[in-house]
This record gives sequence, C-alpha cells and structure tokens, in this order.
Amino acid sequence: MKAIRLAIQRFLRGPAVSRLLKRLGIDPRVYWLLMDLFGQLSERREIFSQLGRDGVAMRKAAWAYYILSGLMVLLFIVAGMTLATYFAVFLGLTALLLFTILLSETNNSLVNPVEGLVLAHQPIDGATYTAAKLTHLLRILLHLVPGLNLIPALAALMLKGCPWYYPLLHMLAAFAVGLVIALFCCAIFGWLIRFVPPSRLKSIGMIAEMAPWLGYMAIQFSRVGHFKLRIPHWLPSQREPRLALAAAVGAIAVTIVVLGIRALSGDYLVRVSAIAHGGSGRKVKARRSHLGALVARLFGGPPARAGFDYLSRMMLRDWQFRRQMIPLIPMVLVPGFAAAQAIRVSPFSGKFTAMHILPHAFGIVFYLISTVIVFGADHQGAWLFLLAPAGAFRGFARGVYARLLTLILAPHALLLAVLAWYWGIRDAGLFVAYSTAVAAVYLGLELRLIEGMPFSKQPDASRNPFILPMMLLGGALMAIAVGLQYFLVFRSPVVVMAVTVALAAAAWLGTRSSLEAFEVNIRFHLGILSTESKGIYTEVDA
Amino acid sequence: MPEAIVAFEQVVFSYDFVEVLHRISFSLYAGQVVGLLGPNGAGKSTTIKIIAGILAPRGGAVTVAGLPLPERAVDVKQRIGYVPEAAALFESLTGQEFLELSGRLHGVEEDTLQIRIREILETFSLSSDRSSRLDTYSKGMRQKVLIAAALLHNPELILLDEPLSGLDVNAAIMIKDLIAALAAGGKTILYSSHVLDVVEKVCDRVLIIHQGSLIADGSLESLKASTQQESLEDVFRALTHSANAEPGVARIVAALRS
Repeated sequence: MKAIRLAIQRFLRGPAVSRLLKRLGIDPRVYWLLMDLFGQLSERREIFSQLGRDGVAMRKAAWAYYILSGLMVLLFIVAGMTLATYFAVFLGLTALLLFTILLSETNNSLVNPVEGLVLAHQPIDGATYTAAKLTHLLRILLHLVPGLNLIPALAALMLKGCPWYYPLLHMLAAFAVGLVIALFCCAIFGWLIRFVPPSRLKSIGMIAEMAPWLGYMAIQFSRVGHFKLRIPHWLPSQREPRLALAAAVGAIAVTIVVLGIRALSGDYLVRVSAIAHGGSGRKVKARRSHLGALVARLFGGPPARAGFDYLSRMMLRDWQFRRQMIPLIPMVLVPGFAAAQAIRVSPFSGKFTAMHILPHAFGIVFYLISTVIVFGADHQGAWLFLLAPAGAFRGFARGVYARLLTLILAPHALLLAVLAWYWGIRDAGLFVAYSTAVAAVYLGLELRLIEGMPFSKQPDASRNPFILPMMLLGGALMAIAVGLQYFLVFRSPVVVMAVTVALAAAAWLGTRSSLEAFEVNIRFHLGILSTESKGIYTEVDA
Repeated sequence: MPEAIVAFEQVVFSYDFVEVLHRISFSLYAGQVVGLLGPNGAGKSTTIKIIAGILAPRGGAVTVAGLPLPERAVDVKQRIGYVPEAAALFESLTGQEFLELSGRLHGVEEDTLQIRIREILETFSLSSDRSSRLDTYSKGMRQKVLIAAALLHNPELILLDEPLSGLDVNAAIMIKDLIAALAAGGKTILYSSHVLDVVEKVCDRVLIIHQGSLIADGSLESLKASTQQESLEDVFRALTHSANAEPGVARIVAALRS
C-alpha cells in the first residue's frame, strides 16, 4: 500500500504533471511547496479550515454517508423503485450535499484567507496559490462521492432491468456531477473576488453560501404551492432549435465557469490583506441597553451584563458564527411559514397543525447555536478572559444564558399577541406558556453542549459534512416528539397545563445544573487555552 | 540622477470609501536608509504594504526596480524583504521550517539556503531553538525569525515596519548595525518606526506622513533647519502639531479616581 502511495506521489510530482500544471499557469515548484505546507499545518492541527485535508473527519463522514445511502438503498429496493428514479435520486442527493459542503469550503478557503496573510508578501502568483488552496476540494470528492454512491451503484444490480455496467456509469456520473459542482463553486467566488469590493466580500460570500439552503426552501414551498415546471410557450417547439438553444445556454454556462476560475488566478494575493481585514467601516452607535442593566440586576451583576452584551454583539458581528447559522434559515423559515398558514386553527381543536412543531423548532435552533457558538473568527481575542477573576465566570455564564433566553421570550411575547387575536386569550396563553416551557427545557439541556467560552475557538471544518445528516436525524427526533405531544398532551387543556408546570419545573432544575456545568466548561477550556503555547497567550502569561 | 528603486507617484489608496493616502509621491534610491514616520493611522503601514505588493493603490503609479505594481507584484515580491508590523506566523512550524519555506518560495538554492539559515540563526542566538515550534518562541525570538526570513533571499529592497519591536537591547543594537551594513552594500531600506531616536541614528533621510499626506521629505539636517528645531522629536511634534500630553494624562488620572 505504501509503495503504491509513493508511486502515485512520484507520478504527481513528476515531469508529466509538472508540464500540465505549467500549461495551466501554475508554478509546480511553488504549488508543491504550498501543498506540503497546508498538509503540515492541518496535520499539526494549526488549521482546521480545510476539510479535505482532515483525513480522519473525511473517513468518518464517508462512513456516515455509506450508512445513510445503505439505508436509502434498502428502502428503495423494497419499494421497487424504477432505475431512472433511483439514479436521479442519488445523483440529486449527491449534488445537493456536495453543493452545500463545497460552497461552504470554497467560501471559507477564499474569503477567510488566514494563511494568505502570512504568505501575502511572498512571490506566489494567484493561479498557483488558489490551485493549492482549492486542491482539497478534490479530496472531498474522492471521499464523499463513493460514500454516497458506491453502495447504491452496486445494489442497483438487484433492480429490475439494470444492465451489468450500471455501477460504472453511476460512479462516473456521480464524480462528473461532483467535479462540475466543485468548478462551479470556484467560479462563483472567482466572479465575486473580481467584482465585489474586498470590504463587502465576506458579507456577499455569506449570502452566496445561503444559495443551496434557499434552493432547499424553494423546493419545500414549490411542493406546498403545487408548483410545476412548465416549458414556456415562447420557446421553439421543434426539437432541433431547442437543442441548439440548449447547446448555446450550455456554452454560455461553460464560458462563465471558465472565466470565473480564471478570475481566481489573477491578483488574488494582492487582495488577501484587504479581504482579511475587510469590514464595512460602519460606525456603531455607542449605547447602553436597559436590558443589559436588568440582566445585571437579575443574573449576577457586571459579569452577567458582560456575558449578555458580549453574546449579543458577537452573535450579530462574528462572520464565522453568522455563516455557521445559515443552515438555520430553512429550519426557522419553513416551520415559521407553515405555522403562519395554520394560524387560524388552534392546537386545542383536536386537529394537527404546524403549530405543534413550533416549540420543538426552538430545540433545533438551540442545538445548532450551542454546538457552533464556541467557534469564532476572532477566537484569538479570547486571551482577554484569561485576565478575568475566576469568580466572574458564574455571572458571565448566567449573562450568556440570559441572552439566549431572550431568543425564547421575545418571539413568544409576539406570538401571544398574534395568537390571542385568533384563538382567544385562554388558548393562546396556554399554548405560549407550554411552548415557552418546552423551549426552556431544550435551552437548559443544550447549554451543556457549549464546549467552553463562546467565540474562543478556531472554526472546525470537519463538522460540515455532518450538518445535513444531523438535520435529518434531528427532524426524525422532532417528529417523534411532536407525535407524542399531539397524541398524549394536546387532548385537553388541563393536561397541557399540568405538563407545562412539570416542564417549567424541569427547565428550572435542568438550567441550574447546566449553568454550573457551563461555568466549569468555560474555566476548563480557558485553562487549556492558557496552557497551549500560542504566542498571544504566552505573552499574557508572561 | 540615479534610477529610483521605488517610485511612488501621486498614489491614492482607500479602504472601502475612506481615502487613507492622498496623492503621495516620493522616490527611494539604492543605498538609502529612509525613515518613515507618522502618528498612528497616518498611513505608514499602508504605504509599505503597497510597496510590498500586498495592497493595490486606487490611483497613481508605483514601480519597484522599474516594475509596475500591482501588475508585476510577483516579480516585485521576489526582490523585496518585508518585516511586517503585526505578523502572523505559522505557529506549528519550527523556526528552521519557517525559514526554509520562506527561502524556497523565493527560489533560493538549497545549499545556499541552509548556509544562510545557519549563519543568521547563530548570529541571532537562535541555533538551539531552530527545532522548536514557533508557538514556543517569545515575541523577540519571533521578530528575529521574521527579520531572518526577510533577508534570506538577499533582497534589493528591505521594508521594515517596527523591526525592533520586542527585541532585547543587544539584538536591537545588532539590527541597527546590520541596517547600516546592508545600506553600505547598496541595499535600499525603508524603515518605519515610532522610536524617533533610532530613526535619527540609522536613517539618512526621513519621510513624515500625517493624515494620509506626505508632509516632509528630506535629510535630518534639512528638516531640522527648515523647522528650526533641534531634534527629530521636536521636528515631528512641530510638523504633526502634536498636542501637549499633560492635560490628557490629568484627565485619565482623574477618571480613575472617580
């Protein structure tokens, strides 16, 4: 195995590949220097931002996808799905997953150029640098495409009418789709880097990263509205002109992709510094919030206020946090719109409505927030907390909790006003109390998932491939919880009231214990920070 | 007139819509050690980054060794050595590995590179730490590594942005002597610093930038004569209209007592 690996390496670094790289405008010597550097930095856990270089995470993700695709294959074969539908489903799933992951990876690689800052003054041309940076996208394809397609490709032979060569065709098509998507993602950011001012690039990159999630939402709504794709009547009706038109559109698409990728090979490293330090330059009005004063009074003095304000500001301004919250969009908007459509029907009417889902949607929101909130773009600023007196973290943790609690209380207050209009004050009050209690239980439990001081760690790209499977799993668990709630709880207002009281008590007790655990987590991770030999922390220690 | 190593002509630079350099022009010539002075936020580091090919100006023309920027940025970077003010490093690399990376990216032959690294590390008293990771280095040691990386490929133009920051007294004295020796060997050095007495000792010409405009360009003697001041610090205060610090100090002390 080692001999094969060495032979492949010798070939890749040999004259044939060097000639090819040169023809593409890439300097082979510098390219391999950079590849070795990025590999070394990932291996030594200095940079987590390149998923394709994290072999362990890639293998874990591939195994998760083997299991997921295996389960789907079982279902489809039992259901007797046709070969064409089977092929389309797996290709579509591959495209959706890869688009989500690769767009995020390209954005993080090009718009968050942490290594670029160190290398900006080195004599490296844009084509070589971006080629080295984006090579890890190919590694992602090499792991995830087989993970999603190998079992389905082989298992298809059990389907009726499947030719013997189908597995080969399936795998080739899946790799082709992956490659096209990788090139497309690079082209998108090539165009953005070319035309968007560096100070706006991070915001626009974040919007671009939303595209697959917005597409996912569009699919959801198109089903709701019984939308059907129709060929416009103004298109030519004969086959030949349609083919010519399709060819022309294809040629334009290819040109756009090629030009986008070429744009990356321009003066990328000249822009790196401006991109990395980019910001809107907008001045923020200095103000003291009354809510902050209230939190200080109720939750633990100035440290609580510090935690409350820190979280409020960082959640709005930290680029990494905001982009990691993108998967929340469909999770918040889809149930939100569905609930809005069903707003006239009270959950106490005995009918099932989208309102039943609402309390549990908070659970998913807090799950995502709790698991990503420790990661931040300015994680090195966490040294400040090493100087805080140990006693301050109790109040600080409570302040953070208070800020998260407002994410429950504010929407529920609004909801109460709206629902009272439709359902009457009794039903609305009871439902809002129940929903608040459920959300508070989720928050209390999920506080334990916060692994340290918020915004104090470098974002870890190895989480990305698991987001969609986790969402599917979360959706399944939520469906079970909603089902139990519908059949067991919303049978009578008295039961709802009793369960609400029980949940409120559970939330109170659970939160008390979770806050203590959260405080310990903060101290523990700050302890790790102080002992890690990062320059900035060592200086503070000294 | 000899050919300029750096020619800055009517250069304008903006961060977003805020113009931070307003039509700045100057030239640097071979063998000169030029001090670049200015208050915080004046545009010194921006000026140096434009010369280093890291930032592209919005207007005007910049050439380094006759090569236009940003079009020939890669060739310019081959000819310069740059010590940034606040440098990020690859913390998990060792000092030796970082210097090897820098030298190889500049295409220095391997044998030459190893000899240079050994000599520089020994001179900087870093030989025993060459195999330690950079995240275990003190600030002064990191600064020495950055200076070493800037010199390894024997550049024509050396851009130093606060190079003595964090260095101990002996290392600082050595760097000052090194600057003089490099200039005597025909290198051009642009030296940005807030430590005016060092600038006074090592530089034979001074540029002062204030609020994005070049307000002074000349030898130390000529600047002292034109402003009728006795030291560079006095020249600087007079030209940048620096306020008397005493009332500000009094306000801070009063606020701390409240």
